Amino acid sequence: MIASYNELILLSIFVFILGAVCSASRRNLIMILVGVEIMLNASGIALIAGSLRWGILDGQVFVIFIMALAAAEVSVGLALIIYSHKRTGSVNSDDYSRLRG
Amino acid sequence: MAADWMILLPYIFLAGGGLFIFCAAILRPDASGLYFAIALASVVLAGIAAVFHPPGINFGGMIDAGGYARFFAVLVCVVSSFTLLLSLRYAEKKGIAGDEYFALILFAALGMCLSAGATNWIVFFLGLELLSISLYVLIGSSHDEPASNEAALKYFIMGSVASGFFTFGVALLFTATGSLNIADSLSNVQAGVSALALFGLSLIATGIGFKVSIVPFHLWTPDVYQGAPAPITAFLSTGSKAALFAALLRFSLVMSPELFSYMTPVFWGLAAITMIVGNITALAQTHIKRLLAYSSIAQMGYVLMALLTVRHDGGASVMFYLAAYALMDLGAFGTVALLSRGGSDIDTLQDYQGIGYSNPWASALLAVCLLSLAGLPPTAGFIGKIIIFKSVVGAGFIYLAITGIVTAIISVYFYLNIIVTMFMRPEKVPVDLAFRVDPLGVALSGCILTAVILLGVLPSPLLSLIERVLYSFRI
Repeated sequence: MIASYNELILLSIFVFILGAVCSASRRNLIMILVGVEIMLNASGIALIAGSLRWGILDGQVFVIFIMALAAAEVSVGLALIIYSHKRTGSVNSDDYSRLRG
Repeated sequence: MAADWMILLPYIFLAGGGLFIFCAAILRPDASGLYFAIALASVVLAGIAAVFHPPGINFGGMIDAGGYARFFAVLVCVVSSFTLLLSLRYAEKKGIAGDEYFALILFAALGMCLSAGATNWIVFFLGLELLSISLYVLIGSSHDEPASNEAALKYFIMGSVASGFFTFGVALLFTATGSLNIADSLSNVQAGVSALALFGLSLIATGIGFKVSIVPFHLWTPDVYQGAPAPITAFLSTGSKAALFAALLRFSLVMSPELFSYMTPVFWGLAAITMIVGNITALAQTHIKRLLAYSSIAQMGYVLMALLTVRHDGGASVMFYLAAYALMDLGAFGTVALLSRGGSDIDTLQDYQGIGYSNPWASALLAVCLLSLAGLPPTAGFIGKIIIFKSVVGAGFIYLAITGIVTAIISVYFYLNIIVTMFMRPEKVPVDLAFRVDPLGVALSGCILTAVILLGVLPSPLLSLIERVLYSFRI
């Protein structure tokens, strides 16, 4: 059985909410990053659903770009997090509060 | 076919320059003067190419090659060349000059040009991400300062969540309308505005709202502006905001009237709350960079207010104000860069006490830029605000205009407070022992200062250029 367009859209919205809740509620920087990745993958599912609905390939092309950019974003982000961890010994976002006012 | 590629010349210069710096760094490590020269040359060439390149409509349905994209490409090139010049001494003093610093400025500029000129969501997404990822690294480039690292981390977390929202918004809009072309997807909706498309559009607005720091999404702004190296703050607050507002203006211009009527109350509320929160919070700040951060939030409120009136010829006021804002914020944050002595940037209000006597040019630049941000004559900001209020009142948003005028009057207090501190209090250090800005810095101050005043005294050439650009956009 082939999944229909509506099911795919519902799935993508569900996955997106999971990702958004993960990145909003977790205080661990790496888990926030994981939440962002899940949100980006939800967009991938939605784009596939769009391609299925309209019968065009544009959405699938976009997904490939998203995968490449997500990799770039994660590599920069992990480098930043590792550097901060070396400096302060913490990956908890609440510990980064020097700048305030 | 050959002529088609000429359209891409500004982008090729920026990307090629950045890659060339990375290659040169393999052969000649630690030649930061060389990297700087390559970077400046590519930005200037890109700017020249953007002014003179052969007229074209569109590159493969992906990139706009008309006057609108070129206007913002030139603006971005001006901003980035000033950023590079401001960075030259600053980066040496801080020991952060290197291939990645100058090359990433070029890549960020490329991202700004792409997002201002994109006519396809994929290209816009690539531009936005290129700009953001380069800036994450640039903000954290002061390795020795914990504040810089923390600022980079905050901008990264906020920015990546925002791009997650944005991407999902584009995906939903594509699903609802069946096109990745920006104009088609935003105007196809009129057939019947579906809930899916509206949800997608609001997610897109949230994502971009984060990047241009519209109020409910502004919380990262003061921290990041304070922690980032001052030239990068100048770049971030002018270039990326101008480019993304250019994209917002493009979306509003091509949007179907039905869809725009859904967005109007949202923009109305966001503009009002942005102006109020930005200006009121700035009153309580004692650090210059934080104060300027809140002021830049408030300025975005004024531009957003002008964005409401694009259906009544308000496009010109948005573009003029963006150009004026880019110059004056560049000058304000640039002064902080010029005056810093190595170590952390001078930031508290006391550090600026009496600085007008030892560094007259740099202080004059800061003073004129602050007057311009406050909207006092004879500066670019004054003309910009007049045009915005004229179009807002003309479009019938009376209460919004009143909010804008009242908050602008409140803002005069904290801007003048800095000027009073600089010029009317005695300096803590004797004048002959005080730090002095180098000659290049004095020349830069003179340039930006002249530009800000010139735009205020003689705005008509730029305004007529903008009218022409917008006219060609409508066809």
